[in-house]
Amino acid sequence: MASALSSAEPAKAGAPVAALRRATRALGRSWLFIAFFVGFFLFWQYAIDLFHVPEYILPKPSEIVRRSWADRGRLLDYTWVTASETLIGYALALAIAVPLGLAIAFSSFLRQTVYPFCVSLEMTPKIAFAPLFISWLGFGILPKVIIVILVCFFPVVLNAVLAFSSLGDELERFCRSTGAGVVRTFVKVRLPAALPQCFVGFKYAAINATVGATIAEFIGSDQGLGFYIQISTGNMRPDLAFAGIFLLTILGLTLFGCVTLAERWLIPWHVSIRRR
Amino acid sequence: MAATIELRGLAKTFGEGATAIHAVGPIDLKVAAGEFVSFLGPSGCGKSTLMLIMAGLLPPTAGEVRFDDRRVDGPQTAVGIMFQDNTLVPWRCVWDNIALQLELRGLEPSRYADRIGTLLGSVKLTGFERRMPYELSGGMQQRAAFCQAMVHDPNTLLFDEPLGKLDAMTREAIRRDLQALWITTRPTVIFVTHSIEEAVQLSSKVCIVTPRPGRIDREIAIDLPYPRDLEIKKSRAFIDHVRDIEEIFHGFGVI
Repeated sequence: MASALSSAEPAKAGAPVAALRRATRALGRSWLFIAFFVGFFLFWQYAIDLFHVPEYILPKPSEIVRRSWADRGRLLDYTWVTASETLIGYALALAIAVPLGLAIAFSSFLRQTVYPFCVSLEMTPKIAFAPLFISWLGFGILPKVIIVILVCFFPVVLNAVLAFSSLGDELERFCRSTGAGVVRTFVKVRLPAALPQCFVGFKYAAINATVGATIAEFIGSDQGLGFYIQISTGNMRPDLAFAGIFLLTILGLTLFGCVTLAERWLIPWHVSIRRR
Repeated sequence: MAATIELRGLAKTFGEGATAIHAVGPIDLKVAAGEFVSFLGPSGCGKSTLMLIMAGLLPPTAGEVRFDDRRVDGPQTAVGIMFQDNTLVPWRCVWDNIALQLELRGLEPSRYADRIGTLLGSVKLTGFERRMPYELSGGMQQRAAFCQAMVHDPNTLLFDEPLGKLDAMTREAIRRDLQALWITTRPTVIFVTHSIEEAVQLSSKVCIVTPRPGRIDREIAIDLPYPRDLEIKKSRAFIDHVRDIEEIFHGFGVI
């Protein structure tokens, strides 16, 4: 319906009209999704009254918004804390894991030593290390950052190894036939060819990063959204716990969204992006 | 300047001991400058291996390859190579893919703009410079890959079934363009194929490669005049050549 409306408009229109038309079209595509969301929260809001759910078990969305607004100062501070842990940990994980993946892909020594070690550690639930790091390093931000690094590290390494070691035979031969050196071949061919598979790891790690930060805060901290959720739940304040969960969701979505945008910008040619 | 190529006692074995596979050779062959030589044989006969060895991309187990009487002991950079799967990278448009060949050689592509334009024109890709590979048909991709293999003005072209995955009509069209280009610039061409008709139509000499281990059973000079168009393909001489070669492969038990 929306597309029928917009196509009926004159072909030559100003920029604002074009923007409006784009917005209408976007809405036309996603209205079902939006309607579902709105419906979900409406149902929640009215089901509480309908089924006489006590407030200390599950509060109404409207109450969650009202009460968490009253505590917005602390919530914002804690969001900042958790966001810092997540982003610093994520960035460091990428900074270490990509070069390591590259090194493993090109070194048979590392491939036989560090690589199987990484593969087996990927099977370990990294969160299990959290209490140890807290006991070693205390309640500060450092043990949380380390746990985020641990959680993000392995998927990035493993995907980077795969990415850098799977250049097609013919492309590899083509590069050699030009007499290009290692660096030039890397910059012009190997790196761009590896990006799509690298991003698989980046996205997976982005999903896990907030999980790592939250659980690390559960285990031992005096600030952050994980801490806030735990304290609120202990104080029979599920409304505030939900506010914390909501903000963590926003944080996770933002990080994932940024990675996805970077992906679209860096590899617009890749089939996974073109087919959208 | 086209290169002369010589193969001396060339052989390749993959693996060792009981599981070793004797893929190629021994082969002795001389290719004169500006010749168009086809390696014609069934799949798995080692003709692609042979091409890789000639390009210096695979070391032989025995013997040697000589280009202009220099022994090959590493990748040959003065050659243009085309494979069955093209070497266009998906993140570059047609023009930039051709430029990639130059960039990898440390050359400045903008200085070759005229040459790239001429090459694209010769394979009827003018106007597709900024198209991405995935926007092109398989035939157009191979035409672009052909420009990529030619842009640095190689003295030798090594083609490994470049038309293998294309439909019959596209193959015919690209053969014609390829032939026109060879006639005007006369590089030395080594053309690996399993199509008898293709080999006879394009080549000045057809080397019959036996089933594994690949050896050159015989060299057949094709003395038909160029350009060899559809009319020539209907001629008595052409049909005789094709039939004779079919007989040879029949003798091998291949067909």
